Order: sequence, then structure tokens, then C-alpha cells
Amino acid sequence: MAGTAEARQQVEDATGEYKYGFVSDVDMDMAPKGLNEDVIRFISAKKNEPEWLLEWRLKAYYQWLKMEEPDWAKVNYPKIDYNDIYYYAAPKTQDKPKSLDEVDPELIRTYEKLGIPLEEQKVLAGVEGARKVAVDAVFDSVSVATTFRDELKKAGVIFMSISEAVHEYPELVKKYLATVVPVRDNYFAALNCAVFTDGTFVYIPKGVRCPMELSTYFRINTENTGQFERTLIIADEGSYVSYLEGCTAPMRDENQLHAAVVELVALDDAEIKYSTVQNWYPGDKDGKGGIYNFVTKRALCKGKNSKVSWTQVETGSAVTWKYPSCVLAGENSVGEFYSVAVTNNYQQADTGTKMIHQGVGSRSTIISKGISAGKSENTYRGLVKVLAGAEGVRNYTQCDSLLVSSECGAHTVPYIEVKNPSAQIEHEATTSKISDDQLFYCRSRGLDEEEAVAMIVNGFCKEVMQHLPMEFAVEAQKLLGISLEGSVG
Amino acid sequence: MQEALFENYEKQVWELAGIVPGSEGVRMRAFKQAVKLGLPTKRDEDWRYSDVKFLNDISFSISKKPKAIEVKQAPLSQNYAARLVFVNGYFDEDLSDYAELLEAVNVRPLANHFTSNPDRVDELVEGGDGVALLNTALMIGGMVISVPANTVIEKPVEILNYSTGTEQSASHIRHVLEIGEAASLNIIEHFVGDAISGNYWNNSVIQARVSEGGSLTHHRVQEEGAHAFHTAKAHVSLDAGANYSCSNLMLGAKVSRFEGHVKVMGEDARATIDGVALAGKDQSHDILTNVRHMVPGSTSDQVVRTIADAFGKTAFQGKVIVDKDAQETEADQSFKALLFDRRGEANAKPELEILADDVKCSHGATVGELDEKAIFYLTSRGVDPVTARQILVSAFTADAFERVDDELKTVIAEKVAQWMTERNIG
Repeated sequence: MAGTAEARQQVEDATGEYKYGFVSDVDMDMAPKGLNEDVIRFISAKKNEPEWLLEWRLKAYYQWLKMEEPDWAKVNYPKIDYNDIYYYAAPKTQDKPKSLDEVDPELIRTYEKLGIPLEEQKVLAGVEGARKVAVDAVFDSVSVATTFRDELKKAGVIFMSISEAVHEYPELVKKYLATVVPVRDNYFAALNCAVFTDGTFVYIPKGVRCPMELSTYFRINTENTGQFERTLIIADEGSYVSYLEGCTAPMRDENQLHAAVVELVALDDAEIKYSTVQNWYPGDKDGKGGIYNFVTKRALCKGKNSKVSWTQVETGSAVTWKYPSCVLAGENSVGEFYSVAVTNNYQQADTGTKMIHQGVGSRSTIISKGISAGKSENTYRGLVKVLAGAEGVRNYTQCDSLLVSSECGAHTVPYIEVKNPSAQIEHEATTSKISDDQLFYCRSRGLDEEEAVAMIVNGFCKEVMQHLPMEFAVEAQKLLGISLEGSVG
Repeated sequence: MQEALFENYEKQVWELAGIVPGSEGVRMRAFKQAVKLGLPTKRDEDWRYSDVKFLNDISFSISKKPKAIEVKQAPLSQNYAARLVFVNGYFDEDLSDYAELLEAVNVRPLANHFTSNPDRVDELVEGGDGVALLNTALMIGGMVISVPANTVIEKPVEILNYSTGTEQSASHIRHVLEIGEAASLNIIEHFVGDAISGNYWNNSVIQARVSEGGSLTHHRVQEEGAHAFHTAKAHVSLDAGANYSCSNLMLGAKVSRFEGHVKVMGEDARATIDGVALAGKDQSHDILTNVRHMVPGSTSDQVVRTIADAFGKTAFQGKVIVDKDAQETEADQSFKALLFDRRGEANAKPELEILADDVKCSHGATVGELDEKAIFYLTSRGVDPVTARQILVSAFTADAFERVDDELKTVIAEKVAQWMTERNIG
């Protein structure tokens, strides 16, 4: 048996099929398919939410009904029937689990299969780990176990699911929820406001350097369940936090919708580092299945000298529509965006960033590396905007595209809008393919073609990868190789 | 909102029947399409940076041909092969001088073009946005210049578009250029508005086809009246080994826009579109390019420099499309903008859309102010600050005129310097 499984693993590795394509069977407590006021009331009631939040959701829902699905991105997908989706699916638990023993063993096995590499495995099993990474594991929309909470609490850090935060820290949630991404911001954000099921809430108090890296593992389960995560991170004056987000999802034939909203707020002298490795199921070789990833991520650098740094490695999803942005409102605030987006087979990615400079002396850096292979489409779409009052703004943008096949597309659509002469804006973009010379050199040193491509691609992405935290960097590098398997030769 | 405008324009389509005999069907078709598409608004992606209010606010009348007037405007090039003068969009035979050109090439007003060749009406470029369609529907004239194979016209052919500037009048001009195999033509378009001109609208379209090994040089100097609106498009298609080289100087008009649409259909063809736009108070200048490489082994290059003073606005929207089959394409774009005042505005959207893998494409864009260190360096060498800025600006804009021949280059440099002097920037 073990031999068979091993062989299968080898085959899958060799063909580059999605490694994490399996389904765990957990009883679901679902809301009926479709979206209407009742479903929203059901979600809200399920989560025992206060009245104000229900009202807010309903308002968002009616706003959403009035909006139109955006069509400006360079992606094509069949029309989504929003009434053919389950908006609420949660693992069935009688009560809130007080200890890990009460957690469905199926869930633990899922984490094992996911290969959650971290110390959490031990933590989940009750073993003290050497290196500490706090995980708020999201299993199909509801936070099941949040670890390290106590230790974080000692530092004063609040790290919990957003539905808990609504009860425990309503004033904080109320104060910041939807202040960075307003309800009416865009179609998917409004949808998220109406139906968001769970997510993460982080608050770092004044002057606190978060003692560990916070991390959430997302995982979409249950067929036809859209996942509507909502993350809200607030870094109070002089604080620092590094947050990791990584995603895998089971193999499915039907497309799954994901419309998350992430809001970051950095006050005076605060710094938030937000890293993402996204490897959701991209669909099979023929473009069947895969996740639709329509995410709104935005940071508000509210305070002076505040800093937000987005790093993302995007290898998964059938369709990606994602623009992690920074509103640089504070004086001398800093926004950074480092991105690697890999598309293979029939994947489509339209991703980039927006840097809105409002604050005097605000600075931003954008490094984007797009790699397209197979028959995929990869678009960088970005905006650098300098408002009239923002003196001494500095921006540097570099977006490079690498084409690995002759049937893919690489597109660059940067917008630059400047209303202040003291701004220094630089933008550079290149598009090219892996040169035969480079390949020849590597191959003459004994690498096979795929290894050579993986090596060149990793070199191409190095500037971005070095901004990832250690744990992620290794994983991300492997991921790049896996994503490009079967794309050459 | 636009219904009333179109009602007016539909009347004009009928009024203009017979002005270019044979074009009636095309006009009506274009008009219907224009109604369907509507006139551009800010919400159209291609017009997001333009001041398109005038298109939606003003119901323009067709410009009138003035009685014999004197046009004192000196030619940009003293040594021209021909000078074709249009007044308010109407060809003025008396003011023009093209005897020499007639010997070598076929030059005729658009008005007579289709009477002898009714089939050729199908060659008119019809498509595009509402503004292009309105040009087709309401064109009042233009020139057809056909250069036979192997004929090289070295000296420039200057087309002067002079406007007396009647309030709310529009002239829709259409030039058709045909460059034969291994032939070449050098066109200078000069747009000039009368000093006391009103808010007229000049809407011009040049369509050109350059055959194998042919070459078309196209310079534009835009000095419309201060209240004018200027929209111009060049639709160019290039066969194998053909060359299209375009330069722009945008100085006048309240709102001006140039669009260069190039289809590179032959191998080893080359297209370059350059431009300088200088926007003073309440001016908005817009350059849009769309270069599409459809076959392997062609090249394109774009160099655009803009300067915006207080309450001035410039925009560059450059697009390079490399089709799936267009391997070994080399395409470059360079855009730089200077802002002289915090009330100025510079926008850019340099876009690459690439579907082939063996390509070398790049673009660079920068926005900033004049480098104080450079000014300091010059002043420390005894150059006064005003001159120092002049020097830096002329160097900045010169990049975009590298491909212009020397005589015109001098003229353009003078105009840039004068623009600086008028602003007394220093």
C-alpha cells in the first residue's frame, strides 16, 4: 500500500498535478444555497452577531445588489451564478472546542496532509515547540483553533478570529472595520461585507513588537463553498507585526469563488509586514476547475513614519484578481509591494498594486515579477498616484515579465498620475523570455531543462523572495518549481 | 444628453451630402455607429485623462470656408517640395504651392477622389471611437497623396491647417496617404489658429499605408488658438520593411490630443512615435499610441516628453501589442514628464500586451521636477538660473526630436525656448 501511495506521489510530482488535491469529509452545517437576506440573517445568527453588524451586512448586501461585476481586468471566466453558491459552511461542533481533543480528528489529519510544516503540529498535539509561530487556522470559514493566544496576550497582542473579536472587542472592530476598504469600494468587497464568515483580527498595542510571526492557514473545503474571509490588522503607534498567510485547497472540478477582504491600519511609527503564499488549486492541465480569487487587500498608512510591506507569491488559482494597495496618508509613510506571480496552463492572473500618496514625504517601492507559462495570461496592473498636497514623494517601480512558452501572454498596465512637481516617480518594465544562452549554460553544467528553468526563474524572482520570512521563502521557492513543472520541453 | 448633439450632427451629415461625392454611404454608416457608441466621456478608458467635456457640452457647427483671406504664416521649412494650405478645413488652391510635387506624385483633393474611383471609398478608415466616426461622417475635405513606387520625395511637404477660429465651429479633415514600394514621403502638418480665435474644434484624421520598403515621415506642430480643441489621429499600416516615423510638438489649444495607431503588418518594418507636449495654464495635452506588431521581426520605439506648468495637464497612454506570431519583436517606450508647479498634473499609462515569447520589450516612465542639483551645477559655472533651466529643458525635450531632420529641429527648439521664455520660468 505504502508503495502504491509513494508511486502515485512520484507520478504526481512528475506531472506537476496539484499535490494537495484531496477532500476531507467533515459534516457541514450549511446555509441553503444562494444569497438573499435570509442567508445573511442566518450567517449572522449562526455567529451570534450583534445587531449593528447584521445591519451593516444587510446594508452591504443591498449596496452589492446595485453594483456590477467589474469587467476591466484581463481575465475571462464563465459568468458566476451567485445564487449557486453556499455562503456558509462550518465544521460541525457541538460547542466551542476547549482543547484539541475536542477537535474533529479529521481536521487534524487535514492539517497533517497539508503538511503544515510548523511547530503548530506539535502545538496542536500538545508539544512545546522551539520556534514559535502563532497560527489561526481557518478551516472552511470558521476558526477552529487559535494557538499561542495566551502568550500573545501577555504581550498585549490581540490575535483571534474576527467573529470572536466582534464579541470581545466590539469597539475596536467597529472603529476600524471597513475604514480602509469601504463597503462600496468594489463589487467583491461589498459581497464580502454582506456574507463574510470569518477571518482574523489582530491588534498590536502601542510600542509592542509582536513576539512572533502571526500566520493563518486558509483552506477551502466543501464543494461549492465560496470563502469570504475578512482580515483586519491594526498596528498601534510604534508597533511591529509580521503576518503570514498561506493557502491550499482541495482539488475540485467546479470553480470555487473566493472574495476576501484584508484591511491593514498602521498608526504613527508602526510597521506591518504582510506576506502571502497563495497556491490554491489552479485547475487541471485543461483549465478545468480551479479557484476564482477576487481579493481586495488594502493598507492605510495612517500615522507618520508608518510602513506597510506586502510580499506575495502567487502560484495558484484559476483566476486571480488582486491588488494589494497602500494608502500613504501619513507623513513620511512607506509602502512596499513585492510580488511574484506565476501562471501556467490556463491560469489567468491580473494582479498589481496601488500606491496612493497623500502624505508629505511618503515613499513607495514596487517590484513585480510575472512569469507566464503554458497557455496562461499574466497581467501587472498598477497605479501610482501623487496628490497635490504630497510634497517630496518618491516612487520606484519595476515590473519584469518572463515568458516561458509561446502560447502565453504577459501584459503590463501601469498607471501613473502625478499632481505634485516635487514627486520623483520612476517606472521600468521589461518583457523577455529565458534566453537560449542561459539555458545552454545551465544544461552544460548538467542540469536538466526543468531544473534549469526553475533555477533561472528563482534567480529572476530573487529580489522578491528575499523579502519573505524564512519559513515561507523555502516553501515558496519549491512552489515556483512545482508550478512550472511540465511547462518546458 | 448626447441626443441633442447627434440630432444636430445628423442634420450636418445631410447638409454635407455631395461635398465629397461618393462618400455618402460611408458617412451615414459611420454616423449610425457613432450614435451607437456615443462620444467619449471620462469613463472611457482611453479618454480617462482627457478633458472631454467639450465634446459633450458643445454642439459644433460645420466650419465655413472664409472668403479670400491672407495667411501670413511663414512655412516651417523654407525648402519645401510643396505647401498645401487648408483654411478652416477647406483646401485653398490659391494659397497653396504644389506644382513641383505634381510632377512626381499624384496629389488631389479628397473631394475628387471617389468620383473617378468609386470603389476606393471602401478604403476609408471608418472604425474607432465616436470622435473618429464623427470625422468620417462629417469630413469636409482633405488631400489624397499617392507616391508611386521608387519615388523619393526628399523635401518636406507642408500641410498648413489654418483656422480663423469661429466660435463653436468644427472642421473634420481627412488626409489619405499612399506610399508605394520603396517610395518615401515627408509630411509636416502645421496647425495654426488665428490670434483672436474662439473655441473651434479641429478634428483631423490621417490614414496612411506604406508599402514594402516605403517610408513615411510625419511631423506635427500644433499651435492652435488658445481656446481651441484639437483631436487628431493617424492610422498607419506598414508592409514589410516599411518605416513610419512620427514626431509631435503640442503647444496650442485648450484641449489637444494626438493618437497614433500603427499596424505593423510586414516583417522588418519599423514604427516610431515621438512627442513633446508643453501644457501651460488650463491646457490639457494628451498623447495616445497604439502600436500593434502582427508579424515577426519588427521594431517600434516611442519617446515622449511632457511638461506641465501651473494648471496644465499632460497625459501619455502608450500601448504596444505583440501578437502571438510576432516573434522577435523589439519594442521600446520611454516617457518622461516634468512638473513645473504643484498645480500641474502628469499622467501616464505605458502599457504592454504581449502574446509572443521571443520578444524584447521595455518601457520606462518617470515623473519629476527639474533637478535642482543640475541647476546648481550650471549656476555655479556662471550660467544664470533662467538660462540654466532653459538648457535643461531643451535637453529634456531634445530626446523626442532626435529623429527630426536638422532644419525642423532648430525650428522646434526655438518654439520650446520661446514657450519657456513666455513663462519666464527660472
